[in-house]
This record gives sequence, structure tokens and C-alpha cells, in this order.
Amino acid sequence: MTENNHSSADDPALVRAAQQGEMEAFEELLGRHRDKIFARAYSMMRNEEEAIDLSQEAWVKGWQRLRQFQGEASFGTWMTRIVINLCLDQIRRQKRHRTESIEELDEASGGVERQMPVVIVNPTSGLERAELRQRIDRALGQLSYEHRTVLVLHEFEEMEYKEIARTMDCSIGTVMSRLFYARRKLAALLADLKKQD
Amino acid sequence: MDWEAQLKLQAYLDGELPEAERRRLEATLAQGGQSSLLLAELRQTREVLAGFEKGIQMPESREFFWSKIEREIRRQESPARVPAPVSWAARLRRLLVPASTVALLAIAGFLTIRNDGSSLLPGGTEMETALTDTGAFTYRDYSAGTTLVWLSYPAENEPDDDEDAVTLQ
Repeated sequence: MTENNHSSADDPALVRAAQQGEMEAFEELLGRHRDKIFARAYSMMRNEEEAIDLSQEAWVKGWQRLRQFQGEASFGTWMTRIVINLCLDQIRRQKRHRTESIEELDEASGGVERQMPVVIVNPTSGLERAELRQRIDRALGQLSYEHRTVLVLHEFEEMEYKEIARTMDCSIGTVMSRLFYARRKLAALLADLKKQD
Repeated sequence: MDWEAQLKLQAYLDGELPEAERRRLEATLAQGGQSSLLLAELRQTREVLAGFEKGIQMPESREFFWSKIEREIRRQESPARVPAPVSWAARLRRLLVPASTVALLAIAGFLTIRNDGSSLLPGGTEMETALTDTGAFTYRDYSAGTTLVWLSYPAENEPDDDEDAVTLQ
């Protein structure tokens, strides 16, 4: 496959070429999906350097495991799952070295989200897309790893509850509880950011 | 609203509620109230997050990022140099060379020194070993005018062919 062919080929064709050892085909796949893979790592880790490192590791692993890829899901989805697993491993490692966050303590002691007032006014109305993204970014950064991860897997990866439970090695009840807390906390944080303006 | 009702509301929003429960909940929602407000908030949060990741871009250029990945792939794929397994014959030889040296030294000592300290060897003879090569012995008989050099080969400090060999993993 020539360079021109690579840019015009679809993902399955590039995957087949890469499985035969064509690194140029794999580079083309990287060019197409690198932002998505990085974005997923960044959403989960909230740290640019870590997200770059984990994305890099995911691409190296992707190349090494490419022969195992049978095409059950799209290549982008397959790669995303690799980076998610790497992020989860990293989060577990970090968790061993830190104390419980305030959010976790709240969750364990009954959950403040159950008593939080409902946010009625849309806290993001009238905002430019870039500004909105910035606010969401800040709000996501204030969630604990556990709550953010559940939110990312559900909202961005579109995983079902049972799939998240399997991925995070917890019960479906825990997934539902964390997701509920994350959503309610996020709504409150966005409302607070609006008030600060 | 109790905790279970709140989680059911969320499951309804996410399409994870069984059909029968979904219909029951919709009937409750039709009456308005707190559950409708909470559902609106949860829905709003979900909508706010939609498309958030699309704006995130990798800060490194494609070329630079790929160069790092390519280098790492090649580094991990390059074969590691491991020493070749040592054959049983080589192991035996390594064991026998010093053992035979020690044995010869003992014999030489026994022949050279009597219990009373006098030498067994006739006058004008001597036996020596070279310290740099413990596998070599020199026997000289000055009266007979002969010199015998006994070599235990291969000498211990000579390179062993097997030791330098490497294999690809």
C-alpha cells in the first residue's frame, strides 16, 4: 500500500495492512484517532502529561496486540478501550498512594447528593462553546477519580451500567450511585461557576 | 424522594429501566413535582457534556508523537542479547580443569616433600607451575637434560567459544 493509498483507505483496510507489518498504515490510523484517544485519557486523568504518556503507551500496545484485533468493534473503539484500561490501572496505582477524597467520604457517609437542591436554571445557557468547555473542564477536575471515571465511561464511552461495573470491578449499585453523585455534583459546580461571574 | 426513587429516575433517563417500571415512572412524572425537576437537571447535565471531548486535541504534532511511538515500538521489538546456554560438556570441562590442577599440585607436593621434609626428587630436578596459567606444569631434569611441559587444555584463562556466543530471542 502506498502513502496515497493509506490516506484514502478506510480503517479496516489500514488495520489489515498494519497487521501485515506495515507501520505506515498504523501511522495513518494514529493520525485519524490520536485526538480521540488523547481526549479520553485526558478526561480520565485531568493531566496533560499523563494523558500524553498513557496515549503513547496505548498506541504501542495497540501495535503489539493488533493481530488479536478481529474487528468486532471499530478500531477507534478498540483503541479507546486500551487507553481506558491503562488509565484505570494508573488510577488504581495512584489511589494506593493517596487518602480518600472528600467526595468518597461523602459517598460513604450517606451521600450529600441526596440532599442537594435541584439546579433549575441552565448554568451553561448563553455561553460560547470554548467557554462552556472550560467550565466543564474545571468542574470535571473537581470530581474524584471514581466519580469522574464513571461519568466519562457512561457519557463519553456510552457504556451501560453493567459494562462499567465490570470495567471498574464494582457493583452495578455502586456505578449507579457514583454516576448520580457525579451528575448532581457537576450540575452544582456549573451553577456555582455561573454565580461567580 | 427516597434514594431508590432517585436512582430509578436516573436509570429511566439512561434507558436502563425495565419496561414495566418505566411505564410506572412515566405516570409519576406526568404529575410533575420534585421528580420532574430532578429529571430535568440530570438531562441537562447529560446534554452539557455531549460533545465535550470533541474539542480536546493532542497538544503534540502528529509527526512528533508518531516518532516517539515508532521509536518505542522498535525498541521493544529489538532482540535482547542473552548468553547462550552452556553445554554440559563445557560445564564438565570447567569443573575438571581446576580439579585436575589441584590434583596435580597435590601429587607434585607429595613427590617433592617427604615426611621428614627432604625432597623425593633426585638432585637436579624441579617442577614448577606458571601462576598465570594454572593448567601448565613444567618438569625439568637437569641430570637427564630433559624438560617436560604438561598442558591442561583448554587453559582456564583462554576464551571459551561457547561463552562468546549469543542467540536471538
